[in-house]
This record gives sequence, structure tokens and C-alpha cells, in this order.
Amino acid sequence: MNLNYSEEQTMLREQIQKFCESEYDFYKREDVVKSDKDFDENVWSLFAEQGWLSMPFSEESGGFGFGPVELSVLFEEFGKALVIEPYLATVVLSGTLLDKSNFSGKTDIIEAICTGSMHVSLAYAEAAKSYDYSSPSCEVSDMKLNGTKTLVLNGSNAAKVIVTCMHNNELTLVLVDTKSDGISQNNFSTIDGQSCSEITFENVAISEDSIIATGEEASLLLADTLNLATLCVGAEAVGCMTSCYLKTVEYTKGRDQFDQPISNFQVLQHRMVDMFIESELAKSLLFKAMLEVDADSDEKYKHVSALKAHVGKSGKISAQDAVQLHGGMGVSEEMMIGHYLKKMISIDALFGNADHHLGLFSS
Amino acid sequence: MDLNFSKEDIQFRDEIRDWLYNGGYPEHVKYKQDNDEPLTREDMVDFHKAVSAKGWMGYNWPVEYGGTGWSPTQLYIYNQEFGKAGCPPLLAFGVSMVGPVIYTFGNEEQKKRFLPDILEFNTWWCQGYSEPGSGSDLASLKTKAVRDGDHYIINGSKTWTTLAQSADWIFVLVRTESTGKKQEGISFILVDMKTPGIEVKPIITIDGEHEVNSVFFTDVKVPAENIVGEEGKGWTYAKFLLAHERFGIAAVGASMRELSRLKDVVKELDSPELDKKVAEVELSISALELTELRLLSALENGGNPGAESSILKIKGTEIQQRLTEIFVEAAGEYALMYPGAHGYGSNDKPSGPEFAAASLSKYLNMRKTSIYGGSNEIQKNIISKFVLGV
Repeated sequence: MNLNYSEEQTMLREQIQKFCESEYDFYKREDVVKSDKDFDENVWSLFAEQGWLSMPFSEESGGFGFGPVELSVLFEEFGKALVIEPYLATVVLSGTLLDKSNFSGKTDIIEAICTGSMHVSLAYAEAAKSYDYSSPSCEVSDMKLNGTKTLVLNGSNAAKVIVTCMHNNELTLVLVDTKSDGISQNNFSTIDGQSCSEITFENVAISEDSIIATGEEASLLLADTLNLATLCVGAEAVGCMTSCYLKTVEYTKGRDQFDQPISNFQVLQHRMVDMFIESELAKSLLFKAMLEVDADSDEKYKHVSALKAHVGKSGKISAQDAVQLHGGMGVSEEMMIGHYLKKMISIDALFGNADHHLGLFSS
Repeated sequence: MDLNFSKEDIQFRDEIRDWLYNGGYPEHVKYKQDNDEPLTREDMVDFHKAVSAKGWMGYNWPVEYGGTGWSPTQLYIYNQEFGKAGCPPLLAFGVSMVGPVIYTFGNEEQKKRFLPDILEFNTWWCQGYSEPGSGSDLASLKTKAVRDGDHYIINGSKTWTTLAQSADWIFVLVRTESTGKKQEGISFILVDMKTPGIEVKPIITIDGEHEVNSVFFTDVKVPAENIVGEEGKGWTYAKFLLAHERFGIAAVGASMRELSRLKDVVKELDSPELDKKVAEVELSISALELTELRLLSALENGGNPGAESSILKIKGTEIQQRLTEIFVEAAGEYALMYPGAHGYGSNDKPSGPEFAAASLSKYLNMRKTSIYGGSNEIQKNIISKFVLGV
């Protein structure tokens, strides 16, 4: 048993931390949020140069073959700095799905993802299908795709989307060019400063060679990809929770009331200890989840669900407490702390909330 | 990173299991534990002697004093397996508390005199720490020891003394100096419970059990050679003792066993509300287990987990209590017919599920866990000061 990060993993963490400190402070983030694109082209190129965009892909696809531990390190640090670049949509949800598939056209797309020249997204969610992604209403018949997808992360920047649909009564994953005829798209901002789209497909022509996978293969690819993405946002939440308690400790030490720092008051100390404890427990569940996510059994889903259930509930409470202990500053849009709360809301809502995953964990 | 235990650790675990499930764990003790029946003093002695005969009593001791010299991982496995098997917790007072103080700070004579009997469980020790006026603020203790030739004369009282009624010896924190800082002037002394002037009075707890006591000292004459280390340094030894007791405090193995019993009970009840509560506590156990493993891994790599291990105390006891709370809820209206201190009131057992009466008893008993060993609020003060730095 060894639960210590390797030297290489620690170096990766330091590299990401250095980037976040020098290139991605809160003001920079605000600029990105306010921009039209909801991501920064220069930052994205830097990600490509650092090799972060190729990190999780197999060496055959031109990646580094890094595993879930390295991805978790990346997302934990992204969580601390509230990075909103569309890494999840393009690299995790789309790139790793393609990489693990037998799709013949995957090499060019993964290469374009690695160099930062293409954004791709996964259209897995539909209205009124809350957290059940296995039987979409979108359908391909006579090689025409019809239906509507919602919550397509970074959909406005995506050149291609992977659409989950039914085809010959089987779950099917098809790759669709967002410029195709018959596509209409509505773009929305998300609570945490990202963007997402609702995309309607009306008789969009599908060719045989745009089908990535069908049947059981498609189901497994989708389930494993969403599981990995859930792990990633879980790690992101762990980073948020860490920052929440650290920033709150720092703030209360510097805030004087009644002629003393408010950190002297035991009622606040114990609340901050609770925040610390919950973040440590979340970290523990992250260890279990990232070390089991490649398992050959259903354990791979179970421990990711444990992590997601925990951060969905206690992460939100920690962020609420962080806001409370910052007083009026906590509810100010111009302060960073309130944005952790928005991030936690967004993380809980993605891929199944706390109650949903608690049910999966115990079943 | 790797979550798996090494081949050697797995072999070690199998050896522990073999002892537990193939005749090592005394049958009559196992029967009572499995059926929630109280253990007598004799049962406890039998169990400890069996562990001792196997050579596992000195589980946290170095080899040179007759201990096992186990690694932190082996110690973890040992705790986990004993908990999962439903064994009574090994009494900490001798082997885990006074033993390490004696082999670290005691003289050769004391080591020769006391350590073998601790390892063989020939002496039953109890702990004289808390006083009526000194709980969380332990250093304010007032029990006095005054030097009189080659003896000390002890006067005062100790309280919440667990199983003092069964004990042969007691280690006592006494005040040997009243001036200066309250932490200074405390000494650590070993006292034979048969010494004249010692009186043990039972305190009945809300579960109706006699587990703790008041111990009164009236002109108790103790040989000066029974003082451990230096006079006035007792506070240092007391703190050392508390730090030594950390691992196993999470009681993950025991909680896993209770969880599986609880699941069996709740499965029959078809209650989504209870199912959700059970799922939540299962999640907490999983988080706690990994937290203990993370601290263990840091320890194995030469790190010092320090105040972070207070998390184990806080969450471990919260989980132990939570499990009993859900058991009581599962008992429903049968929770009313709890005998407590006064018996059932009838010679027959009441109707209702088997677990109902035992669950009430455990529920009430487990309230102590967040109070003892440094209350959970004190643990939060420790984290606040030493981890958060406020």
C-alpha cells in the first residue's frame, strides 16, 4: 500500500499551481468569463504546449498515457483556482471517449484536440431524462438524426459533437459536425461561468463512418466516460473545498471586530475545523475513487459515486460556510469566495447530484 | 500509488483471521459478544490471556520489551480484523497506556517489575486521570501526593475511572507541587489498588451499567519508588500517553461490523428513510477508512500525521454513535421497552425484535465516546490550533 504521490505527479501539480498563480488569477478569470468565447485562446494554446491537452490519451493516439491520478491532480488544482477553460468537455468527455473507442476516424480528431486546434463536446443530456443517460430520445432512422440535446458543455466552441442516440433500438454514439445542415443551437451561460448549448437536430444526415460505437460497446464507453468525468469534477470539488477552508482561515485572521481577529472566536474556529475535516474526508474518497476507476468490476462506479455524493453535499455546505464566515464580503460578486459556492452548485448538478449518487453507492 | 496491501501484509492478515476464526478467539467470549450479552471479569481475562498466549498483547510495543514490533500497517490490519470479528476492544490501560510510559520513562526496576505482567495480563490496570473538578482542563487536577520519607501520602479523588472495580493497579496523575504553572508540579505514580485508604464507588451510567467509578484516596501510603520518571514531569508523560493511543481510535473495523448487522435489520423494514441513513453512514465509514489509510501511509513513509489524527477520533466516534442511533430508530416503538438499570419488570423478555433492547443499551453507552479521550470539542480545538493555526 502506498498513498503518496510520485515525484512526477508532484511536479505536475507544481507546474499547474505555478500556471494558476501567474497566469490565471481571479481577475484574469473574470475577463475570460466576460469574453464572448468563455475560454481564452492563449491559455488554451499554453495548455497544448504544456502537454496538458494530450495528458490522458494513450501513446498510440499521441498522448502521454497518464491515468486518473494525474487527471485528478489537474482538476484539483483547477478547482482551487476556479479555472473555467473547457478541459472537461473537450479532453475528458470527448477525447478520452474517442481514444478508448474503435472509431476509425479518431486519430485526426485526437491530434487536433492535443494541439488545441479543435473543441469537441459530448451531447449526453436531454430534458426530462434526469440523470438517466442510457436511453436517449434522440434517434437515428433512415440515417437521419432527430431530437434535442441540452447541457452540451462548451457547445458554442465545439466543431464536432458526439451525440448519444438510439439507432436500430440500440444506444449509439455518432459524431456530428456542428456546421451540418439541420442543426440549430442555443447558447447559455452556466452558473459557474462556463457555457453550454441546447442543440436541436432536424433530419441531420448521418453516414456509417460517423458512427463511433453501438450497443453494449456504446453503453460501456458512455458509462466509463461519464464516470471518469464525474471523478474529474469530484477532484475539482476537492480543490474548491481546500481553498474554501484555507481562504476562510486567512480571512478571519485578518478581519478585526470587537478589537480582535474574529478567528479568536471558538464558534468560528469549530466551523472552520468542520470545513477542514470535510475536505480531508473528500480527499480520502478521491484517493479511493481515482485508484478504483480503472477496476474491472462495478467497484469503478461505486467509489466515484461515493466521492460525488460526498462533495455534492458537504462541498456545498463548506462553500456556504465560507460565504457565511466572510460576512458581507462573502456575498459580493467581486470577491472570489462566493464563486466557489457557484462552482459547488454546478458540480452537484452535473452527472447526478448527491442524492442520486448516494443511491448508486449503496445499491 | 497503490491501495493494495503487500503479499507479506496479506499473509499477516490471514494469520490473524486464522486465529480469530479457527479456535484462537475463545468460544464463550465470542458467543456472548455475538449475542450482545455482557462479559464478566473472567471473560475479559480469558480473552486477554488468549491474545497474550498468541504473543499479540504487545501489539504496539517494540520487540526489546516483548512487543510484536509491528509496522503501522500491521497494527492497522490487526485492529481492523479484531473489530470485524466482533472482539471486545483490548483494554488500553495496561498495554497501550501505562506500558509505553513505563518502558519509555521508567527505570530498569520498574520495567522488570511491571512490563511482563502487562504482557501476560496478570495485572489489570485502570487510569486515574479525571477528577470531579478536572475534566477537559486536566492540568487543573488537585489530588495531592506529599513526600513523607520514602513514601508519598496521597489524598484526593478521581472519577470516571473505567473498570476500577476490576483493577489490580491504577496509574495516577497527582500534584506534587502547588506553586508555579499548573502543568508543572504534576507527577505520574503507580498505585496498588489493595493499598489501605483507597475506596471505589460505582457510578451507574444511563445505560444502567456499572462501567465507571469514583476512586477516593485517603492518606494512601505509596512507596516513593513507584513514581515514574522524574517528580514534576508527569504532564509530559500524560501527553505522551494520549498521543500513543491514536491508532485504532477510529474503530473502523468494529463500525463495519455494526454496519453489516444494521443492514440486515434495515433490509427487512422496507423504509427508504432508513435506507438513506444507512447509505450515509456507510459513505462516512468509507471516507474514514481511507483517511486512516492515508495517515498510515504517511506514517510508513516517515511522516508525522500529528493533529490530523484528531479527525479519526471525531469522525470515528460520530460514526459509532450514528450507527446506534439508526438501530434505535429501526427498533421503532419497541425502543420503549428498554430495561436499563431496573430490569425488564417482568421475568419474560418483551416481544419485538431481538436487537431492540441491545440497541438501546448500546445507544446510551456510546454517548460516552464523544466525551472521553479528549472530548470532540477539545479535538476541534487541537485541529484549530495545530492545523489551521488560529
